[in-house]
Amino acid sequence: MFENVLSVMIFLPILAGLVMFLSPVNKGVARLAGFIVATIILILGVELFIGFSGTAAMEYVENRTWIESLGINYSLGIDGISLLVLFTCAVLFPIIFVVFSTRTKGFYANLLITQGAMIGAICATDMVLFYIFWEIMLLPIFFMIGLYGGPKRLPATLKITIYTIAGSLLMLAALIYVGVSYHTQFGEWSFNIVQLSRLDLSGGYAVLAFVMFMLAFAIKIPLFPFHTWLPDAYTEAPTSTTFVLSAIMAKIGVYAVVRFVVPVFEIEFARFALLLALSGVVGMMYCGLAAIAQKDIKRLLAFSSASHMGIIALGVFCMNVQALTGSLFQIVAHATSTGVLFLFVGLLEERMETRNIGDLGGIAYRAPIFATFFGIAMLASVGLPGTSGFIGEFLIILGAVKFNVFIGFLAGTTIIIGVCYMLWMFQRVFFEKTNERTEKFKDLSLVETLTFLPVILLIIFMGIYPQPFIEKIEPAAQQHVANFSSMPETHVVDTIVPTAGLKHQKN
Amino acid sequence: MNDFLSLFPLLIICSGGILLMLLSAFERVKLENAPVLSMGIFGAAFVMQLIASGIPESTLYADTFNGMLVSNGFTHAASLVIIGCGFFTSMSCHTYFRQNNPCTMEFYSLLFFAAFGMLLLTLSRELITTFISLEIMSLAIYILVGYDRKRVTSTEALLKYLLLGAFAGAFFTMGSALIYGGAGSTKFYDIGIFISTHSAATPLLIGGTFFIFIAFLFKVAAFPFHAWVIDVYEGAATPVTGFMATALKAAIFTVFANFLALNSALQKEWVDFLFYIALFTMFGGNLIAIGQANIKRMLAASGIVHTGYLLIGLVAISTESFTGSVIAYYLAAYAVGTLGIFAALSYLGGKGEKRMSFDDFKGLAKVRPYSAAAIAVFLLSMAGIPPTAGFMGKFYIITSAISAGQMALAVFAVVSSILSMWYYLRLIIIMYFHEAEDAFEIESSVFAPACTFILVFFVFAIGLYPIVV
Repeated sequence: MFENVLSVMIFLPILAGLVMFLSPVNKGVARLAGFIVATIILILGVELFIGFSGTAAMEYVENRTWIESLGINYSLGIDGISLLVLFTCAVLFPIIFVVFSTRTKGFYANLLITQGAMIGAICATDMVLFYIFWEIMLLPIFFMIGLYGGPKRLPATLKITIYTIAGSLLMLAALIYVGVSYHTQFGEWSFNIVQLSRLDLSGGYAVLAFVMFMLAFAIKIPLFPFHTWLPDAYTEAPTSTTFVLSAIMAKIGVYAVVRFVVPVFEIEFARFALLLALSGVVGMMYCGLAAIAQKDIKRLLAFSSASHMGIIALGVFCMNVQALTGSLFQIVAHATSTGVLFLFVGLLEERMETRNIGDLGGIAYRAPIFATFFGIAMLASVGLPGTSGFIGEFLIILGAVKFNVFIGFLAGTTIIIGVCYMLWMFQRVFFEKTNERTEKFKDLSLVETLTFLPVILLIIFMGIYPQPFIEKIEPAAQQHVANFSSMPETHVVDTIVPTAGLKHQKN
Repeated sequence: MNDFLSLFPLLIICSGGILLMLLSAFERVKLENAPVLSMGIFGAAFVMQLIASGIPESTLYADTFNGMLVSNGFTHAASLVIIGCGFFTSMSCHTYFRQNNPCTMEFYSLLFFAAFGMLLLTLSRELITTFISLEIMSLAIYILVGYDRKRVTSTEALLKYLLLGAFAGAFFTMGSALIYGGAGSTKFYDIGIFISTHSAATPLLIGGTFFIFIAFLFKVAAFPFHAWVIDVYEGAATPVTGFMATALKAAIFTVFANFLALNSALQKEWVDFLFYIALFTMFGGNLIAIGQANIKRMLAASGIVHTGYLLIGLVAISTESFTGSVIAYYLAAYAVGTLGIFAALSYLGGKGEKRMSFDDFKGLAKVRPYSAAAIAVFLLSMAGIPPTAGFMGKFYIITSAISAGQMALAVFAVVSSILSMWYYLRLIIIMYFHEAEDAFEIESSVFAPACTFILVFFVFAIGLYPIVV
């Protein structure tokens, strides 16, 4: 059983979701079944995290031939890079089933299918397999926003769907180009990422393919200037969908850059790293400033999430061990802080029937537990020392300064911006005077408190004692960076200033 | 013996057609049972074809037919697609004609003759045989399109198709004559040998090839010969449209691919021509499809786009790595999706095809969730979203294009499929995200719904186990 644990984690939720769609169960049963499945995944995820030995190699490997003629395999595996993304995806789902109820069972089915597909995308080590899960995970999101979203859901759905599908179809062409190049260079078909990293790509088509890959992931993350779908989608989506989008799906974009783009396109990546890092920094400043101006809490959090994704992406683009480790750590930290803030806002909206900051105030007097939890998650989100957010952001900024002092400096300023919008929002919502509406605010119930408590404890634990997490990430991060920088120095210099002639035209 | 085995399905289909004609003349079978009977015959032919597909080597009928026919893995696959299309078309006809003006028995007989022409077309490797089978197929299809002669749209469709199709046939004969004049043979293989030793750049060969291309491109509705397809698809009865969109395309593309693969020298000369045809077909089709308000018309236009993708397969064709299996796979993948959606429209369309525009399907998911889910699966398959058959088809087509060095074409194919998301998603959005205004009452009949759900199964089965390639 434990040999195929990844397959179980992928297909159990997907099958459960499909059965839920097709069978005439009512939504109460669906919710319970969904909770049970999500809990099983949670247990498997924790088990897997503990059992993970922390070498740089792939663990829990599964490999089966699928399409022999093109060398496409059903191959799964996780290493230090994917471990924490998988962990996030596995442990946070049960909360949704406990806290939120919806209109029909379809919602729970969609949630389960997304979870399965996301785990698939995280574990796949074959590019085609990855692509398949990557596309599947969008479909439930499409239905969840379109069917259960807010009043302006249709434009938001179309925007996110067309945007993401455009990106991923471009990636498909680039992916096939990589596969075909492997075939021409080595005489056999393979889409396995380990083998593809041996590829030596150069020339115009390689740059084009790199750009296509990056576009797909930049849209998903989203990187500035491809973030325009985000505020609408995050605001209109039902809270739990927003949570899935911001806490996990966006991270898969970052993860995919590390996993698939960096090993294959080392040269192009080195060439464009500064530009990409700049786009990360600009994105986080821009979205941070935009967040200050928001009147709707959910929209504010949407911008704040985009701003933080900029920081996480920046960590990847700096390409040194500190920044990469920081990014991977921050993936969990961000999911447990900003992701959970989205859930709190969902609760707030359910009770107050408004998300307008102006209509709220003084909630802390009525609901001390809620305010405390919210406050801790918020402080983690702005990176206060002692919370998980600090470790990640610190490592990333450290790496950024090593990479380029100017970019490191800009990255540092965004933390100040973060403090501005978050604390100000907190003040207006939780302190100041209560009004008629907030008079009646009920604090978290016992079940809700118990559900959120582990996450809050995790935030603090990760902030005080990050070592168990870091030691699992670091070997893989080190090896990743080592592979990257083992590329001959001359090679890089050579391609940064392209020389004339046929040298780069071999593709 | 193997020779005979490969021809056996063809014979079954042919005798099936004659049998149905006789039965209808003597009025021995109730009209109700005709679709069941034809399903049986198509089923038998399908099984025979499956057995015949087990033969690994290709058979050239050198003695029996003087080398005019050939059967190999590629033709087997294409024949399977065509016979399968016939089977599912008869299945949806059963339901369709309960809700619409009933047809007569000869309808099914003609369906068989059309399928016979198509099967012969896949086997042929000689221009005259190709012409004969093309005409057998076309004549039957003309009648099927205009079968409901009391309906104006149907008659209009027939007239348009017949007149333009006659031109295409004339072009084909003219082209054959010119090629015979230039190369001294009508066999594809001999023409290929002549061109590889001599030059393809003689006026006779250029003119002849051009005319033959026109005929083929007209039949598959490629740019700039695509204008007829919208009205004809709309006017024909829904199952017939489904049959035309899938089986006909499969047959023509098979013979087109055979023609080009056996004449690689010729293909190299014309590759730029095909490149631009494929490009304009994809984008022209998309531009037309985006503006449609009627689902049948939208599907007709999206059929043009798929023709464009298949043409990419033809551009990428080469003797070293014959992309026949890619084309066959794409045809199968496209066929299950398209047939499925036409089967669903056959029963959801209601009396007299009253529900055919996008707006008529508002809120279908609320009233008939399973049908809506099936349609959504077919649309996603056509759009090429994994894990459906359409995705693997697109994957293979793009792989073959990049392998052949046609990177630009691959990128254009991707851009075109981004555009096509718009109209596929639009129907899904209308079905799912709007409130129902219609009760979607339909005649109770199990056949077309069963056909739809079997095809849903095939969409996933073909997508997850791409065995052909």
